[in-house]
Amino acid sequence: MNDVSTNAYVLLSAILFTIGVVGVLTRRNAIVMFMSVELMLNSANLALIAFSRARAESDGQVITFFVIAVAAAEVAVGLALLVSIFRAKQTTNVDDVSTLKG
Amino acid sequence: MENFIWLVPALPLLGVIINTLLGAAALRGSHHHAPGDSHDTHAADHGVHHDNGVRRVGWLASAMVGLAFVLTLVMLVQLLGQEAKVGEENGRFFDITYWQWMAAGDLRIPFGFLIDQLSLTMMLLVTGVGFLIHVYSIGYMSHDPRPTRFFVYLNLFIVAMLMLVMGNNFVMLFLGWEGVGLCSFLLIGFWFEQRDPPWAATKAFVVNRIGDFGLLMAMFAIWGLTKNAEGGALHSLVFREVLAPENVGSLQFVQTAFLGTQYTAAGAIALMLLLGVTGKSAQIPLFVWLPDAMAGPTPVSALIHAATMVTAGVYLVIRTAPIFELSPSVMNTMALVGVATAFIAATIALGQYDIKKVLAYSTVSQLGYMVAAVGMGAYGAGLFHLLTHGIFKALLFLGAGAVIHGYGDEQDMRKMGGLRHKMPRTFATYMVGTLALAGIAPLAGFWSKDEIIGHAWYGAEGGATHRGIAIFLILSSMLTAFYMARQVAMVFFGEQRDKSIHAHESSPLMIWPLIILAVGSVLGGLINLPGLHPLTSWLEPLLGEEAAPFHVGLAAVVMVLALLSGWAGFTYYRRAERRIKATHRDPLHRWGGDFYAIFEEKWGFDSLYNAIVVQPYKYLSNVLGKAFDVVIIDGVVNGSANLVGLTGRGLRTFQSGYVRSYALMFLVGVVAVLGYFVLR
Repeated sequence: MNDVSTNAYVLLSAILFTIGVVGVLTRRNAIVMFMSVELMLNSANLALIAFSRARAESDGQVITFFVIAVAAAEVAVGLALLVSIFRAKQTTNVDDVSTLKG
Repeated sequence: MENFIWLVPALPLLGVIINTLLGAAALRGSHHHAPGDSHDTHAADHGVHHDNGVRRVGWLASAMVGLAFVLTLVMLVQLLGQEAKVGEENGRFFDITYWQWMAAGDLRIPFGFLIDQLSLTMMLLVTGVGFLIHVYSIGYMSHDPRPTRFFVYLNLFIVAMLMLVMGNNFVMLFLGWEGVGLCSFLLIGFWFEQRDPPWAATKAFVVNRIGDFGLLMAMFAIWGLTKNAEGGALHSLVFREVLAPENVGSLQFVQTAFLGTQYTAAGAIALMLLLGVTGKSAQIPLFVWLPDAMAGPTPVSALIHAATMVTAGVYLVIRTAPIFELSPSVMNTMALVGVATAFIAATIALGQYDIKKVLAYSTVSQLGYMVAAVGMGAYGAGLFHLLTHGIFKALLFLGAGAVIHGYGDEQDMRKMGGLRHKMPRTFATYMVGTLALAGIAPLAGFWSKDEIIGHAWYGAEGGATHRGIAIFLILSSMLTAFYMARQVAMVFFGEQRDKSIHAHESSPLMIWPLIILAVGSVLGGLINLPGLHPLTSWLEPLLGEEAAPFHVGLAAVVMVLALLSGWAGFTYYRRAERRIKATHRDPLHRWGGDFYAIFEEKWGFDSLYNAIVVQPYKYLSNVLGKAFDVVIIDGVVNGSANLVGLTGRGLRTFQSGYVRSYALMFLVGVVAVLGYFVLR
């Protein structure tokens, strides 16, 4: 079972997180941004699971379930917003939705 | 009975609460007509129904004060049943502490009442005269649009005045002292939609503040400087503790320096208390507020500005007599202040045309008598005059109110005349009050005034005489007879000079208090009749003062002088009647000339204060308003607003509306925070 070291998991988690960050920052399509955010969340989940296994404790796994639940709720709200925006503006490009500014 | 002492101030307070909550409903409930329903009978009906509301509100307020009076009488009986001994063993008092009111450091202020001979005497005056004036006000205020407010203020005044005289410590006294000042302010300015009352109210309030400052400083000094027999500090301001001989005596040995002069602490405290007295009891140099206070409704002038509140200063002196006794020089100063006030105010009263102003200056003058009396150490005589004056001056003010009420709200005596036919009952009672004030035997004023003059002329047993003071007091008493004769001649005798005004007698509700007070003015001398001296012996355990002998010769001379002076005044103004015109100066001006002009101008006190206080103050306010306020205050305010604006203008560029730039900022922020914690 212990073939893969914790370091490798954490490294993978960091790579996935970075991909997510870059995706959020560079893409304008709201759906892709959502996917990137999900990627970041799941990279965090991966890190939590990895540490949980390394320390032989179940806390990290419990938190992961919380994260999954919250992420599901977040997606539900986010997609609802997105549908509303699309109905109003006929676009999913976030740069077109910039009227709320100082 | 002592368990029910708290009811005495609580009953008027209940009146305040009930009338505040339900008074408006009582007035509204008495209107049965729909608004806009206006035929001829409506106005009359409206008046009648409004009357009913006023009666409900007024009788409730009066009943509360009346009940308080009855309770006070019961307490008097109770105290008389207790053993009275001179000095420490004096058994005639209740000192009841209800709860600890406040605590600061090691100072503890209790909420409690001290009922002894002095406070009970004051309570009888306050609730007794107060009750009559409440009843009178039901008639007097029947046409006023705001009777509820009036009776609430009046009841509140009674509460505050009772706190003042009943409190068992300096802070309770101060609570009442400020409370009566507040009620005085509210009631002087009661008709605030008119031009003068708000100004007069403000003037009274501001001038009183100067006196209150003195009282406050005295309280601080008493707490800070009084030591007990072991040399330790006192932890309360309770009268019976602070003023106990072994404690108050320590004030004699503490020295303080002020403006390069050495004072004993007792002297400095007595001087500050004296400042408080000159403010509240309208003595020179702070008397200027009282005549202006006549802008308030007349029952207020009778209750607050003649019978009760203005005597609070005299009460304060008698209460804190152990402190004053330690400082003979301050006592002398007080006697001089009193006699100067008595004389100067009496001369000013000669030059007044307003029926209430004459009485106002007369009040200032009579307060001068009381202050002079207590300044000479004649506490019993001062309190005696306080009581009789409270009765007959209330009578005179209420009589003047009846004249004003029945003469179309006119106050100028030059427009009156001949009113004795139109208002026979008012006239009869007014004459009783006039004779009592002028000091004609056997009315109340004769006995009390004579006791003061006798004390000044012959001195106390083995004490110093004050012949100079006595002479000026006798002169003032002649002036008193003269200006009262002038007033009576101008108001009640001769022909009615303004024929356009319909004069009528007042309602029974206003006449009955006059009659009762007139009886009191006749019999008031019995309170301390020479030979019996009930008041002095009642107070003796408290003040240790023995009854002075009665000097028939002096009394006769003083009374004959007053009679002559009064007769001269009366005849002169009867003869000069056709020269009394609203547009002309007083007939006496031809004789008195420049002297009379000085009286008319009130010895220039108002102009002097205007020149040295009011005008510089206005100038300073103007300068500060234009320079300091506009440049510095507004600069700070506008500057801070501009700063916030500029900051916002700079920061708004960050809020671009682009989600991705927010995300970038978020990332930068998280990296920065993490970097700080990782790298530090």
